[in-house]
Amino acid sequence: MNSGVMTDQQQQLTDGRPRRRRTARQRRKQLVGLLFVAPALALVLLFFVIPLGMAFWMSLHNWPLLGKPRFIGLGNYARLLDDAQFWASMRFTVYYTLIVTVAIFSIAFPLALFVEKTRSLTKLYRTAFFLPVVVGFGSASLLWAWLLDVDSGLFSPAAERLGLMDQRVNLLAGFDTTFWSIIIMVVWKTAGFNMIILLTGLQGISTEVQEAARIDGASPWQRFRRITLPLMRRTIALALILSVAGSMLAFDQFYIIADGGPQNSTVTAVYWIFSQSFGSFRLGYGAALSMVLLVILVFISVVQLRLLRNPEGM
Amino acid sequence: MARTRTAPAHRLFATLRYHGFGIGASILFLAPLVWSVLVSFKPSIEARQPPLPPWPVGGFSLQSYDNLAQYGAGIWTYAGNSIAVSLATVVASVLVSLLAGYGFSRFQFPLKNVLFVLIISTVMIPFQSILTPLFLILTKLGLQNTLTGIVLVYVTLQLPFSTFMMRNAFDAVPKEIEDAARVDGASVFAVLTRIMLPLVLPGVATVAIFAFLASWNEFLAALILLTDQKKYTLPVLMAAVRSGQFGTIDWGAVQSGVTLMMAPCLALFLLLQRYYIRGLTAGAVK
Amino acid sequence: MRLLKIAALGATALVALSSSAFAQEKLTMWSRSTSEAFMPGLIKAFNETHKTQIELQIIPSSEMVQKYATAAAGGSAPDFVSLDLVYAPAFAKSGTLEDLTDLAKSLPYFEHLSKAHIGTGTYEGRIYALPMSADASVLLWNKKLFKQAGLDPDKGPTNWAEIEAAAGKVNALGGDIRGFYFAGACGGCNAFTFMPLIWASGGDILVDDGKRAAIDTPQMHDAINFYRDMVAKGYVPESAKTDSGKNFFGGFATDKVGLSPIGAFAIGNLVKNYPDVDFGVTFIPGKDGGKASFAGGDNFVVTAGRDNLEAAKEFLEFVYSLEGQTLLAKGGSLPTRGDVAAEAVKDLDERYKIATEAMKMGRTPTSPVYNDIFNSSTGPWKQMLGQVFFGDDVKGSVAKAQAAMQSILDSQD
Repeated sequence: MNSGVMTDQQQQLTDGRPRRRRTARQRRKQLVGLLFVAPALALVLLFFVIPLGMAFWMSLHNWPLLGKPRFIGLGNYARLLDDAQFWASMRFTVYYTLIVTVAIFSIAFPLALFVEKTRSLTKLYRTAFFLPVVVGFGSASLLWAWLLDVDSGLFSPAAERLGLMDQRVNLLAGFDTTFWSIIIMVVWKTAGFNMIILLTGLQGISTEVQEAARIDGASPWQRFRRITLPLMRRTIALALILSVAGSMLAFDQFYIIADGGPQNSTVTAVYWIFSQSFGSFRLGYGAALSMVLLVILVFISVVQLRLLRNPEGM
Repeated sequence: MARTRTAPAHRLFATLRYHGFGIGASILFLAPLVWSVLVSFKPSIEARQPPLPPWPVGGFSLQSYDNLAQYGAGIWTYAGNSIAVSLATVVASVLVSLLAGYGFSRFQFPLKNVLFVLIISTVMIPFQSILTPLFLILTKLGLQNTLTGIVLVYVTLQLPFSTFMMRNAFDAVPKEIEDAARVDGASVFAVLTRIMLPLVLPGVATVAIFAFLASWNEFLAALILLTDQKKYTLPVLMAAVRSGQFGTIDWGAVQSGVTLMMAPCLALFLLLQRYYIRGLTAGAVK
Repeated sequence: MRLLKIAALGATALVALSSSAFAQEKLTMWSRSTSEAFMPGLIKAFNETHKTQIELQIIPSSEMVQKYATAAAGGSAPDFVSLDLVYAPAFAKSGTLEDLTDLAKSLPYFEHLSKAHIGTGTYEGRIYALPMSADASVLLWNKKLFKQAGLDPDKGPTNWAEIEAAAGKVNALGGDIRGFYFAGACGGCNAFTFMPLIWASGGDILVDDGKRAAIDTPQMHDAINFYRDMVAKGYVPESAKTDSGKNFFGGFATDKVGLSPIGAFAIGNLVKNYPDVDFGVTFIPGKDGGKASFAGGDNFVVTAGRDNLEAAKEFLEFVYSLEGQTLLAKGGSLPTRGDVAAEAVKDLDERYKIATEAMKMGRTPTSPVYNDIFNSSTGPWKQMLGQVFFGDDVKGSVAKAQAAMQSILDSQD
């Protein structure tokens, strides 16, 4: 989806069609064009642009859910500098994003290579790997919350029954076990998605190049490093952007499975914003936190877009 | 000796390895889904025990579905809400993006490119960060706690993708087809509905699938924007089921809910896989 | 043309969806999920005998505040709410609630209504909330397991040492059975069941009229060590570590737990939904005896600006009638009107009477930021409990929580 941004910007540069003389008919056609895009524009204005402006405006206020807002300038921003939980959440979110992205790629890439050449049953395998993707994050989280439950779930009782552990261990009671359980769940849920994206890139590489390298005696690993990876730069970057943006905004799985626990250690940035805005009803403060998150995200996106556009940058 | 291994044996070994990995990995990916579906058919008491084995030992039972059906206003209210929201999102997304895609593809008007970038770039902004103002705007419009309100939000969230998708679809249609119809005196609308629509139907299908899946599964916005229990969509209901009744969690009911929520997504995907994958790769190949 | 038709159809569908445009015929009322055992029955009885009709919705306890506040801000709040009494100050302060002072004073038995409820329902001299249901924390023990463990099934423990000893003996039964249970990741639950341990031992939580947190006390550390000990000895199930109040009842209701401090709501719930569980009820004791309780339950509040006072009065008069009080008591809520309390529980067993007594001596910390401090799932109280019960750094965690609570208390306007 993000690629839309780039393709359009590129198109913008090449879009200098010769302008014809303006006639009445021509002007009418212009008007009709505007009419066609008007509903979309209205929605974006009303439910995106205006709310964004409002979010900034609110961030300058002490804005309770009920009662009168009070202008406090940059008070919220000053306060968030000292908000230990926010920065802990931010750190955790970045940590999670890094780990989960590496984990997703290290599963999705082999899967993409595996399903690249069509053999018997390949289509079936592709579908199997992809199915968890279409299940929503909410449902997947509920499913895994149960699998991870200490008494009624699967993992802990199974480990006990197989004799791997003396007694049932509550996987959600410690940070590491909670964190890795959720990583595994997210990889399960999203590996298929990234596999398809990477597969598109793989299929774009001409077989002749690969074949030539093979004849020249390059080992599979050399071929992968020297040919496949460089030629897939754009595809990888796209998958990376999608994965990073999605992970930075993680909420459902940590809210539903872990409740942010143990001891707030898995409260992500969005979770903390949610909790400040709709748990403590400090809407102004929540808006300020959102603004900070937004700036960080746009920054990350821009950096990634740059890397994507400029091949030398990677 | 290894050296003496003949070519056919080698091929057989490679095939075995290939399918061994394929089947093993497939099982890993499918197991949680299958497990959940099987457990949902256990009787309540059995569903509280660890799911070993996953299938109901004491015979299939619909008890968990019964328990789920009795939550709050009844499961059909919530399923109905979810279906209404998803279908309305699909219809509205298709309509709006069809018009916008056509407009952006075939017309020249001032600020065209700026407006297109404006719509597309909203994808870079996390909607979570504007949830509060959205809530206030919907309140002002009298749309807070209405399914209409949440549909409008979902359509907007889908817009960058659906507009992008539809413009590409229209761009792929040769201009000559349209010009021929215009010469025959057809109106702009007639050209769009009679000539163009059939040609961009695959794009429409893609937009529709994505809109359905996104709105069917969305949780956070629904949690905040819908306050009346009778308006809950399935994901919000399920969070309530998960939070227990009478101080105990009915895992059987949770899994039957998960099964209910997964079923349409899986069915839709298996039926329309081609369009879904096309949508997914539309960005990647561009 | 076909496109236009589709558009028209879509538009009609959208309009049809916004059913909120239609006026409600019934009054709506919300109640939290812990009251599931008695509220539906009470409302049903009311509707059957009155022209005014109330439609009840049960909201998950953990979502109640968020839902009510958002709905109030959005103008879609229910007419009446049975609201956890600790939240009354916050909502009264925000102007969400209708002033019920005149209504309250017009009730001839006003003086006999639960003081704890009226206390939290009074803000700046005006009454915004009246008692709906009452819930006092008590200690439950499982008689069947006590018998199996060789303990006297008819005698509950009276101090911490006795609790720990009994939990140990039950725990020794082995298998899935554990001695003691509490929801370790639930701030609200432990305010309700853990604070009385401290009060009964002479300590306190909020002092100076709720303006100051005082949790770093010897009594707090004693109580923490009491729980830590039982956790370390394996008397508490693994699942307690992550129970955010969703499954606080799962173990006790299935004969898997020996003792559990819990609300009186649980009595009605057990009797109704788990009739096979044979249990006793006693007071939550202090370290060396004594007893204390958290006076909890719900206040009845009316959303401001709806002109529903008459219906509210009609409903409250039913709630406070002997019939209403008896219905509540049967479902597990304690009576909220003192002068008919004895009459309302006379047909019920001894266990309700203990809970009624606990209610009388119950205490309730009051603060408009109660949610942020104690109940919030990201708040300092819950965070501290997890660390001190199951973690290593008790001293540091308590000190940190003390500071965090004080800073929240100070930051309210």
